[in-house]
Amino acid sequence: MGGATAPWNLGRSHERRRGMSNYLKLMAILVALATAALGLAGSAMAEETIKIGVVGPRTGTAAATGAAFDEGIALALDKINGSGGVLGKKVEVVFEDTAGDPAKAASGIEKLITKDNVVMVLGESHSSAALAEIEVANRNKTPFIIAEAWHDDITKKNYPYVFRAGPCNSGVVNDAIMGFVKHYGFKRVAIFAENTDWGKGIKDLAETGLKAAGVEFTTIDTDTKSQDHYTELNKVKKFKPDLILAFVYGFGVHYLIAQAGEVGIVPSQALLLEGAGPPSLWPEFWKTVGQYGNLELFVSRMHEKVMLTPVAKEFDAAYQKKFGKPPTDYKSRSIYDVILIAADGIKRAGSTDSEKLTKALENSDIVVCSGQVKFGKEKGSYAYHQWQPPMLIVQWQDKKQVVVYPMDAKTGDLKK
Amino acid sequence: MEDLLLYLTNGVFMGSTYALVALGVTLIVGIMGVINFAHGELYVLAGYFSALCSQALGFDPLSSMVVAVVLVFFFGLVIERILIRPTYGQEMYSLIITFILYIILQNAYLVVFGPYPNKPPNWVNGASDILGLFSYSNQRLASFAAAAAVIAVFMVVMRKTWFGRVIRSVAMDREMASLLGVNPERVNMLSFGLGCVLAACAGVILTPVFPVTPTVGVGISLTAFVVMILGGLGSLTGCIVGGLLLGIVENLGVAYISSGYKSLFGFLILILVLFFRPTGLFGQKRL
Repeated sequence: MGGATAPWNLGRSHERRRGMSNYLKLMAILVALATAALGLAGSAMAEETIKIGVVGPRTGTAAATGAAFDEGIALALDKINGSGGVLGKKVEVVFEDTAGDPAKAASGIEKLITKDNVVMVLGESHSSAALAEIEVANRNKTPFIIAEAWHDDITKKNYPYVFRAGPCNSGVVNDAIMGFVKHYGFKRVAIFAENTDWGKGIKDLAETGLKAAGVEFTTIDTDTKSQDHYTELNKVKKFKPDLILAFVYGFGVHYLIAQAGEVGIVPSQALLLEGAGPPSLWPEFWKTVGQYGNLELFVSRMHEKVMLTPVAKEFDAAYQKKFGKPPTDYKSRSIYDVILIAADGIKRAGSTDSEKLTKALENSDIVVCSGQVKFGKEKGSYAYHQWQPPMLIVQWQDKKQVVVYPMDAKTGDLKK
Repeated sequence: MEDLLLYLTNGVFMGSTYALVALGVTLIVGIMGVINFAHGELYVLAGYFSALCSQALGFDPLSSMVVAVVLVFFFGLVIERILIRPTYGQEMYSLIITFILYIILQNAYLVVFGPYPNKPPNWVNGASDILGLFSYSNQRLASFAAAAAVIAVFMVVMRKTWFGRVIRSVAMDREMASLLGVNPERVNMLSFGLGCVLAACAGVILTPVFPVTPTVGVGISLTAFVVMILGGLGSLTGCIVGGLLLGIVENLGVAYISSGYKSLFGFLILILVLFFRPTGLFGQKRL
């Protein structure tokens, strides 16, 4: 019997042990799962944020703008989250690289809205990309504040969810560039425009403005991807301009300035006004253009000595503290401004509901680095949902920035 | 007249740079049957190396260029040994591998060097008055001379030396060359390395004129492919003629038709050549 019992007992205790073992394993798994679930829930609760999407180029010819955006985002988040966030939650930014490519831009913003579930999208710096993005934002009824894409059509389409808290072509040309041309009495102007939405749009406006002012001009269209402009510059030289309006964005304008110097146009025959701004402030500017950068002019919404508001001073101090250098590319400030506008909109809406947010944004009245933001409310033109910051025309004089226009912000005389 | 002379001068300068870049691609295609999508990225790498050597290490321009070319040569050997060699005989695999390499290198440049353009100092500054007709950059003239010299040396090596004959024999008949004692694997390795050297030479010669950025390699590779097809797959002479033709046609097109569609002229001439002569200007596989 014993022999018969032993195997039975043995088997029973073995089964029991196996049963116990399975039970313990099951318990262990359940405990682990529960702990993980609790942990996840805990971390989700701890990290619950309001997500804002940012679109802009981190690659491509204007990849430097992505770097400037990153700096501005970091400073804006420090400011907003450092003072308790918005609606009791921290603000989180999800960045999508658009590389200035409309197809990539459209899929990028679609991903931000549908997959990342952002409550609002901000940014962009290429008009071609922005024109694709506004269609997606408007279709998805997601508020979208453009920071630095200038084409008039972006707000001229009068989409209810699209805003622009930054320069537009009409504002830049009519207020800044034409004012500058008329004030300093330029007689012959050569327009050098890249074949992009921004380039074509701003070129058309400049041609209209010059024609109305009775200034003689010639226009050269250039391929945005071209690095060599010798042949085109020869045509410009023969026209004998006293001013070149260079509507070429990104590193391309560096090559243009250097080559315009090499063929003997700038600065001896004509001054060159770069219509986009930040490329003249990028770190490699002087290395690429050499001595031909002297007396070059550029459009800017920032100057190291012109602080338009207390927020600009605050930004400047925070920037220097965080990055150990003064801010150069003004697009770090542009994105900083739109993030402040977005946070203010969410606060006033008291919600992340897109309809309430849109309404709140329409009624924005907030001071940012570039001035006091109030969006246009009247439909029918580019001025709808548009806020144009004041633009400066700055000249490099012995590697120092001198504001030469508008006259009330002037820090020195124009040198020819 | 002086206008036409300027357009032609600039066309020949740009054409010589196109030819130099395309020669490396053609060499690798002709001998190994490998289309190197990352060719432009090797150009960029050499540009970065020469800029680093002159800026960070204080080398003179010539030493910077030599160091950059040597480094890219060894980098090319490593690529061939690790990535290309296992794909021999499987053209699609090598195509995919080099395509992935191009993406990885481009992103690596962005992380390591940042998005800004980078260039070594000019070898010479200022501009010269050419025959009293127009002003032309001294650096461009120097780069043109260097590109022409590299192309001439390369052609002499390929046509007049034992090494060139060995390479051409493998390109013509790999099996027969192997029976005659040529080690095709070693020839492949050296050919790939030499192709990389040509990309690197183009990079160091042109970076003072056209600074490198992480993404500039795409355009370089595309132009090289257009020139290679224009000249005839595998034809070195075709590369030189194709490069010069492309440079001149682009410049005349910009001057007399429209400057907004510069890249279109290259493709137009390519379509025309392929329509009338589908094998390209100089046929194929005649090294």
